[in-house]
Amino acid sequence: MNASVVETSQASEPLVDIDRLVDRRIVLWYYFAALTYMVISMLGGLLMALQLVRWNELQGIEHLSPGRWRMVHTNAIAYGFLANAFLGTLHWAIPRLTMRPVLNKGLSYLIFTAWQIVVLATAGGILLGHAQAVEWGETPVWIDPVAQLGLLLVAINFMAPIMSSRGPMYVSLWYFMAAFVWTFLTYAMGNFIPQYVVCGTNAGAIAGLFIHDLVGLFVTPFGWGLMYYFVPILLKKPIWSHGLSLVGFWGLAFFYPLQGIHHFLYTPIPMFLQYGAVISTIAVEFVVATVIVNFFGTLYGSGRELTTNIPLRWFYTGMILYFVTCFQCALQVTLTFQALIHFTDWVVGHAHLVMFGVFSQWLMGIMTYLIPRLSGKPWYSRKLCEWHYWLSVVGIVVMFTDLTLAGLFQGWSWAGMQYWDHSTQVSEPFWIVRVFAGLSMFGGILVFIYNIFRTLTGPSAAAVEASVPTAI
Amino acid sequence: MLRAANPEERPQPPKRNRAWAILTIIFFIGPAMYGFGTKFYELVRVFQGDPAGAFAVTPIVNYLLASFGFVLLFGWAARNGMFRDIECPKFEMLENERRLDTLER
Repeated sequence: MNASVVETSQASEPLVDIDRLVDRRIVLWYYFAALTYMVISMLGGLLMALQLVRWNELQGIEHLSPGRWRMVHTNAIAYGFLANAFLGTLHWAIPRLTMRPVLNKGLSYLIFTAWQIVVLATAGGILLGHAQAVEWGETPVWIDPVAQLGLLLVAINFMAPIMSSRGPMYVSLWYFMAAFVWTFLTYAMGNFIPQYVVCGTNAGAIAGLFIHDLVGLFVTPFGWGLMYYFVPILLKKPIWSHGLSLVGFWGLAFFYPLQGIHHFLYTPIPMFLQYGAVISTIAVEFVVATVIVNFFGTLYGSGRELTTNIPLRWFYTGMILYFVTCFQCALQVTLTFQALIHFTDWVVGHAHLVMFGVFSQWLMGIMTYLIPRLSGKPWYSRKLCEWHYWLSVVGIVVMFTDLTLAGLFQGWSWAGMQYWDHSTQVSEPFWIVRVFAGLSMFGGILVFIYNIFRTLTGPSAAAVEASVPTAI
Repeated sequence: MLRAANPEERPQPPKRNRAWAILTIIFFIGPAMYGFGTKFYELVRVFQGDPAGAFAVTPIVNYLLASFGFVLLFGWAARNGMFRDIECPKFEMLENERRLDTLER
């Protein structure tokens, strides 16, 4: 047998050529694109934060107005950073989980190119004022068909190896398979139905479902699927309970899709639908609890790894923040609490916690683990990896706490029937803190990019080993 | 090397488990289905009595379609033995990963 060929664990399975299994170059390309959009997104966030403290150097330039930058900020993180980083990582994880390469390597590069065109055209369209009136789905209508086609091709390219694998599937593959279908359907629902099929309150309800399903049916299944793959590998032991992980998956499948209406409490939507959304949201908290228990059950006995293994530390930090954000969800969907926090900065803090504190941190951990493996070069500086971690975590925790408090003060100000100006005056100290928290997170990303650059331009692992005296 | 066990050699679930399953259906799934049915009836009445109430149908139909798809998938998975040897895939995944790592070196 060729040395680069491995037989899968089931004797009847075909042999796999390890050299052709994973295309390392495309994973790296996706990561470069993802980090570029992360920088663009953070610049947009920074501009918005400066606008709130009345320091907008772009004042009067219509195409660079804060409202448009804000949309670039949210779209670049979803479709630029998260989508690219997920797609890159899936090119590593799915072939290794199924022991089969993706359907077509050429198709992978076509999708990569097309997706960058979609994201750049979205940013350009938004700045030119062509945004669609759907929150987080502002993609101009002339881009939507291309993006939809791209999502279909992504599903075909990755589903082929999954569908051809035999026997009971590992939980990550369940999550990925569902995510390909959900993302395709969610995108179609949010970008086409309100635009062409329904209008008014009905369109509003659909837009609410879209924004929530984008988190729960696109980002969440990819994120958890990848955690179920990477955490056991890094800990070198299996997940605590595979059965419990499947409970989490099926719970997400049945409870999540009805949640989006909880964005519309106190609206003309019939109350039984609003209550249904509240109950299904609380039901999902039980599902979340199973996932958290499973991962901390896996960590049990190996906690010391968190002090030495930086990717693992990223993962578990994200999980703790995931639990916090889901706990917030259970509070937010109650009618009493919603009356206080709706339209306040609490919601902004919640969104940042889940997008940056959880999913972006998981992807940073994955990149920290994979980049040396993909490039065949050790990290230029472990200390810079530590700086990246601490600047990011401190930044997001401060920002989340700050915005949560700001939201409560704003809510109480409005509930107390104060003038609008009173709530903005109360918010100003919090908005100043937010700028510095954002700068810390931005600094972390810049440190990471510098570390990657020095790593990729540095010596290979073999050269480093050769230069080390054998006595050491 | 880890393999899925032969289903015919697998011991049957004890009667106690079956009793738990029946009790779960009686006390949890039954009332839940009743609750869902009555709420769905309420939805149909809203739709029939007030044409403007039709907007409530769209998100519900979305949910029902998605859930129906997953019910079918769940049935397919159960029928194809995806939940037999439920802990086996986690060992198999690690074993495959270990061998891939060895070959890479």
